[in-house]
Amino acid sequence: MATVVDIDLMADVQKFGAADVNACFSCGNCTALCPLADNDATFPRRIIRYAQVGLTDELLGSKELWTCYHCGLCSESCPTEADPGEFMAAARRYAIASYEPTGLARVLYTKPVIGTIIAVVVALFFAGFMLSQAQLGGIDAPRLALFDFVSNDLIHWMGIVVMALMFLAGAWGVVRMVRAIGKRDGVTLKDTFGSGAAWTRTVRALWDSVGVESLGQKRFRDDCHDEQVVEPLWRRRWLVHALTIWGFLMLFAATLIDYGLELLGIKETGTPIPIWYPSRALGTVGGLALMYGVTVFMLGRWKRWSTSQATSQSSDWLLLTLLWLTGFTGFVIEVALYVTTPPVWGYWFFLVHVAIAMELLLMLPFTKFAHVMYRPVALFFYSLSQQKHATAA
Amino acid sequence: MSESGSPQRRIGVYICHCGGNISDYVDVDRVRAAISADPDVVVGKTTLFACSDGTQHEMIDDIHGEDLDGLVVASCSPKLHTTTFRGVSTRADLNPYAYTQVNIREQDSWAHTDDHEGATQKAIALVQAGIAKTRLSLPLEPLRVETVPATMVVGAGITGLRTAIGLADIGIAVTVLERESEVGGWVGRLGPMFPHNASGRAQIDELMAEIAKRPTITVLNNAELVGKTGSFGNYTAKVRLRTETTEELRQLQVGTFVIATGADVYSPEAGELGYGIDGVLTIKEFGDLVDAAKGSGSLTWQGRKVRSVAYVYCVGNRQPGGNEYCSKFCCAATVHASIKVSDLDPSIRQFHLHRDVRAYGRYELMYTESRERGSVYMRYPDDAPPSVEQMPDKRLAVTVTDALTSQDEITLPVDLVVLVTGMVPRDNEDLTTLLKLPTGDDGFYNEIHPKLRPVETVVDGVLIAGACQGPKPATEAVSGGLAAVTQSAGILKKGFAELDPLVATVTESLCTGCGDCLTTCPYDSIASYVCDTGQKATIDPASCKGCGGCVPVCPEDAIDLLGYTSAQMLAAIDGLSVKEPVA
Repeated sequence: MATVVDIDLMADVQKFGAADVNACFSCGNCTALCPLADNDATFPRRIIRYAQVGLTDELLGSKELWTCYHCGLCSESCPTEADPGEFMAAARRYAIASYEPTGLARVLYTKPVIGTIIAVVVALFFAGFMLSQAQLGGIDAPRLALFDFVSNDLIHWMGIVVMALMFLAGAWGVVRMVRAIGKRDGVTLKDTFGSGAAWTRTVRALWDSVGVESLGQKRFRDDCHDEQVVEPLWRRRWLVHALTIWGFLMLFAATLIDYGLELLGIKETGTPIPIWYPSRALGTVGGLALMYGVTVFMLGRWKRWSTSQATSQSSDWLLLTLLWLTGFTGFVIEVALYVTTPPVWGYWFFLVHVAIAMELLLMLPFTKFAHVMYRPVALFFYSLSQQKHATAA
Repeated sequence: MSESGSPQRRIGVYICHCGGNISDYVDVDRVRAAISADPDVVVGKTTLFACSDGTQHEMIDDIHGEDLDGLVVASCSPKLHTTTFRGVSTRADLNPYAYTQVNIREQDSWAHTDDHEGATQKAIALVQAGIAKTRLSLPLEPLRVETVPATMVVGAGITGLRTAIGLADIGIAVTVLERESEVGGWVGRLGPMFPHNASGRAQIDELMAEIAKRPTITVLNNAELVGKTGSFGNYTAKVRLRTETTEELRQLQVGTFVIATGADVYSPEAGELGYGIDGVLTIKEFGDLVDAAKGSGSLTWQGRKVRSVAYVYCVGNRQPGGNEYCSKFCCAATVHASIKVSDLDPSIRQFHLHRDVRAYGRYELMYTESRERGSVYMRYPDDAPPSVEQMPDKRLAVTVTDALTSQDEITLPVDLVVLVTGMVPRDNEDLTTLLKLPTGDDGFYNEIHPKLRPVETVVDGVLIAGACQGPKPATEAVSGGLAAVTQSAGILKKGFAELDPLVATVTESLCTGCGDCLTTCPYDSIASYVCDTGQKATIDPASCKGCGGCVPVCPEDAIDLLGYTSAQMLAAIDGLSVKEPVA
């Protein structure tokens, strides 16, 4: 049975960007030039074609969406100026919106004004909720006692609830994506877990996607800038991206360590500690890395340093802004903790900090942040495909 | 008088090396030595390139200096250089028909590269034959015929009308015949056309307005050409004019004809690609629908808003075993239609299922615009055309394989399917027979050469232009019409024309009036008349093409072809059989 095409697919994808992609006449220059395209992932031409023709399942089942790191080489050399790199970005946005079930991502991406209002309202909600539970009397204490202001337990449980919701929505999206890619690539459960050899492949693919690629940024480092002018090291995309990831992970680790120390009864959360204390030091270094990365990314988009940063959507700014605000307010709190007279604004920054961090996590499956869960999944399938071909050869 | 009894001639013979093309295989010096023994050969030379400027001048000097009265050049094919050396003769005050070209390249050196001795012998025989033919040559003068400064244009479509204006502007009176009751042809029924978006109807109106300003143009509707007599440059055309009740025959004197009868549009058979199903239209029907909807902001079919359209290209064209030709205009017309649709309602999704898009030249710009506005072009394999079915909801399902997506079939749910139909030759058998117009395998009229003589036919004074000679866009058809204007002017504007005198003649005293030749002539150039001694045949030199078909038919050998008389040909055959004199 022939696939019935969705005649509205391209118009729908174009709500997410890719204004010029109709000029594409499938010459394949982009695929030929792409340093990341190979027999296990042919793009961008094929993926653009899926959208032009209206093959929704093929598009959403394309791991290639996420094996692209948007170096912009294709867009620079496209003979029809169809901006294939921007198309890939738009198709990723479309995929994020299509995988998640609520429709929130679609609104955030396609309606910038409403999206911004939602972002503000969610932050206000968290702040308002915490404020309603806060002990305003503690503000004048001689020491900055943040957890007397908003209780540790409240933040803890709020975080648990937020993360549970995030995981629920995220898992829903990931399952849909896995099924779509599995169907298109012909990967079954049995191929993945059915035998010892299958397990070996799966573990190897997990290591490739999460370890080598996501944490190691291997292909981003190796391939993505050949034939292009090499950016100065301080703003080279893979490095800035790696600093952002590692900064975020260090902050996450610092939080876990702090919580672990409390569970172990070594140190209660909120106890004043010197800056060299392991969890504080780790958090500070991570925060600096994150702030550096996010700030350089924002500057790059503002100044349009490269082709990949030439087109920015409100969704790009939303993620960067939330990350930046989280980092910035975090440092303000850190300063407030170490000044001799506890400033009242320390409490307010704390409120904002927690509210935005909560929002960041809650909205993860719906914003550009969702790439942290989808990209490793795609890379997992990419590794499986490569292993299969290596065995066949 | 020489031995054979023919008059003493003074012939110059030039044997060409052709830079080695000939001399590598033929011993040209031996050829020269062999023919120099002939008492009528006054000058015998070999030359590196006979056609070079220097050699041409040398020939002229020899003709003057040695008082030559015949010229033989043994070189390449007469197709290449007959005109060159006739020109040399003329410039040297020698009758150009006293010149004979002998082909010792294509017919000798190139054909016998493995046998130098044989090639040399053959060259000697060929040159001797040429000398023998030249020895008997008679001075001939071109035929001069008076011409009538009037042209008849058959067909009042865009080509015919534009041709008429061109002719009138160059000072030639024009009669335009239109078989239908209205002028304009296909173009007159079209709305905005590619590439400039000018309406077909408006263009015809504009041409008619221009024609109205030119009193030397007569446009006759309901008129057909039914007879043609006379000869080159001076024909009598018989025209039948019809009204509902009356029929009138009119005779007109014209110098040339321009045939611009156009073409028809392919009409799909029932069931061909779903034709017959509600919503499956031809490109013409679709164009009318789009033009009618102009300005309304949406396209509707049977009261339903059209949201998607699929165009299927090459319907009835480029089909093995069917119409194998490409109609040239249909890709551009469809691309243009898709832009019109996009102007009407940009949200309509358009799929173009093609075999390859031949939007050549500037039409490429339209193709690019069409793509940029969202039209999707899909190439289907030649052997797997799309299939069209009606779905339960009355929409249409077009199933196709797109070479650029994958090998799997996909189904496009669309509201309309447009069959892009090309042109077919118009059924004009009477006119074709009347004018003896040659048609090609495809059924369209054939020109002599598509590039070198693009509007002339083998029938002198009958020119063709526009879609009657092959499918083409209106702009190209009009260009052809203007070429026919120039060609007509070349024939008619001098007031007379000069024709090659290489025609057949009848020796009246030998003719018995048997009439065999009359039925042989393919050009109707032979007529019979009665004189004192009975029935005789006569050949009209103006319409005779010099094919020689009548010569062997005559039982009395009463017909001779000037330039190739029986005596000349027999002498040439004798020349061929003479062996090289033993040195």
